[in-house]
Amino acid sequence: MAAPARDPATYGTTVTRPPDFDQFWADTLADAAETPVNPRFELDPLRSTDDVEVYDARWDSFQGVTVAGWYCRPRRARGRLPALIHVPGYVSEPLVPKASARDGYCALSVAPRGKLRSNAQFNPGYPGLLTHNIVDRNTYGYRGFYVDALRAVDVVLAREEVDRTRIGVTGSSQGGALTIVVSAMRREITAAAAGAPYLCGMMDAIRLTHSYPYQEINDYLRLHPDREEQVRQTLAYFDGINFAPTIRCPILVNIGLRDDVCPPETGYAVFAAMTCEKRLCAYEDCAHDAGSTWHARIAAEFLAEHLRPGEVA
Amino acid sequence: MAIDRETFWAQTMAEVMSRPPKPEVDELPIRSTEFSDGFGVKLTSLGDYRLFAYYSVPHGTGPFPAIYHAPGYASVVQVPPYYERRRHACLSLCARGQRLSDRPYAAAFPGLLTDRVDDPRAYPFRGIVADACRGVDFLKLRPEVDHTRIVVVGADMALFVAALRPEVRAAVVADPFFPWLGEVAPTTSAYPYEEVNDYLRAHPDRASAVRATLDLFDPSGLADRIRADVLITYPPGNGPWNEARAKQLAELIGSKASLYARTGRGYLDRRHVEEWIAAHGGDAIE
Repeated sequence: MAAPARDPATYGTTVTRPPDFDQFWADTLADAAETPVNPRFELDPLRSTDDVEVYDARWDSFQGVTVAGWYCRPRRARGRLPALIHVPGYVSEPLVPKASARDGYCALSVAPRGKLRSNAQFNPGYPGLLTHNIVDRNTYGYRGFYVDALRAVDVVLAREEVDRTRIGVTGSSQGGALTIVVSAMRREITAAAAGAPYLCGMMDAIRLTHSYPYQEINDYLRLHPDREEQVRQTLAYFDGINFAPTIRCPILVNIGLRDDVCPPETGYAVFAAMTCEKRLCAYEDCAHDAGSTWHARIAAEFLAEHLRPGEVA
Repeated sequence: MAIDRETFWAQTMAEVMSRPPKPEVDELPIRSTEFSDGFGVKLTSLGDYRLFAYYSVPHGTGPFPAIYHAPGYASVVQVPPYYERRRHACLSLCARGQRLSDRPYAAAFPGLLTDRVDDPRAYPFRGIVADACRGVDFLKLRPEVDHTRIVVVGADMALFVAALRPEVRAAVVADPFFPWLGEVAPTTSAYPYEEVNDYLRAHPDRASAVRATLDLFDPSGLADRIRADVLITYPPGNGPWNEARAKQLAELIGSKASLYARTGRGYLDRRHVEEWIAAHGGDAIE
């Protein structure tokens, strides 16, 4: 597929922030507070190694849904360690973050509701999640999904080996979106690295691409064109561009200038909305990989600079 | 008792062919476009397992070349890409264990790679390879498909399909991990390879049985059967799937194989693959 000639940096966005955006999320967190986080960790001997302990982590979230994660920590480290939260892409399953533990982090990889191990009570499927109850912000699938990721911060804070002043979050694609949301909503986050952020400028994106997952919305609106305004209204409460101005920690963002999944126009737009210390790496001729061949090292150095991982024997 | 590779796969293929696919093809309007019709397909595979697949057919008069997305190592199988659907019949099949084909068997990720790996007949990948082949069996039943222009795209399952379904015209293979898996796994801690390391750390007494199973499921051992044109791609760097391994596989396939070193710039790499498909049985993707 040949990409059309356009300047993604100057595209802008049609996203507007609903006047009651903050109230909606305050109400959501208040509702969620009725369910204690109740973090549980069970050592997984199968996945553990000589140098890394792996735990099957579980916690409770919005509307009583139990979600899962993988928690890894180095067996031999001095003092308290920074935590690094990994948030997943749309279709991929969360990684077992042993590599981060070897790098000196206590690492939690999150499986929000609907992912395997977290789909007993909520399972909209893929495709499916992006348009699950999309006409109603109160029951939209991403409402609880975002809370699941936000509560990952409480989960790492429950670990005594974690230094509460050094909490990072990172992910790409949907993980990039969740990185933005968690950074914006949790003051404990001290550094963030977001790749190819999805769920940003969503109503712009569906006009810029026919690739999934955004194509799910196009598929939906082709069958239900009369619902476009309702969809627009719902998505405004979940759009990363509306979370971005609230971020206070340093954040690194990378995008691919030929990304057909998360169009670079939307990456520029969310970056422009950030008012914190920020850095953008835009990669020519890169698609949804967003330059990961080169950027992985840059992101690792950025996170290490801000989070100061522990020494691992 | 040990079984040789040829006998094992001959028996497996005979078993799957003993049952007709019996497809049900139902309209799926939400996955249709202005230029193609989307369908949900159910079909029968090895062990009387019923599978799901996404299928798309362009509007207009066929027969059309087909692009078959063979199942990968992931829970989710995606709808065929929008632009491919304009000029190709497109099939994305969910193998047993994957979402939409996860009743009665729901696979774990990680976990699938070593589930019953000490017993080749019980190993889920025996069924998964058969499932992947069923995709071609389905396409061959379809009158709107040009049966001489079926292109399979994927990783390990694309390799197996190319080896076990000689009617495939071309195959695009990216980053398989079953070739030489028993040998490569101890050299890396990256998943899914690490699943093998995890399993053997927990069950060292099963090492020889695991090695025997992984040897049977090494598609490089079937490479000399491949008649399709094959594009093998590999990423930059020296990860577990690298230039040396790709070359090794290409040599086993012979003159029908060609190599592509991905640049790390996904747009350029995708263009290369799309152009290769168009030149090897497919049509333009735009």
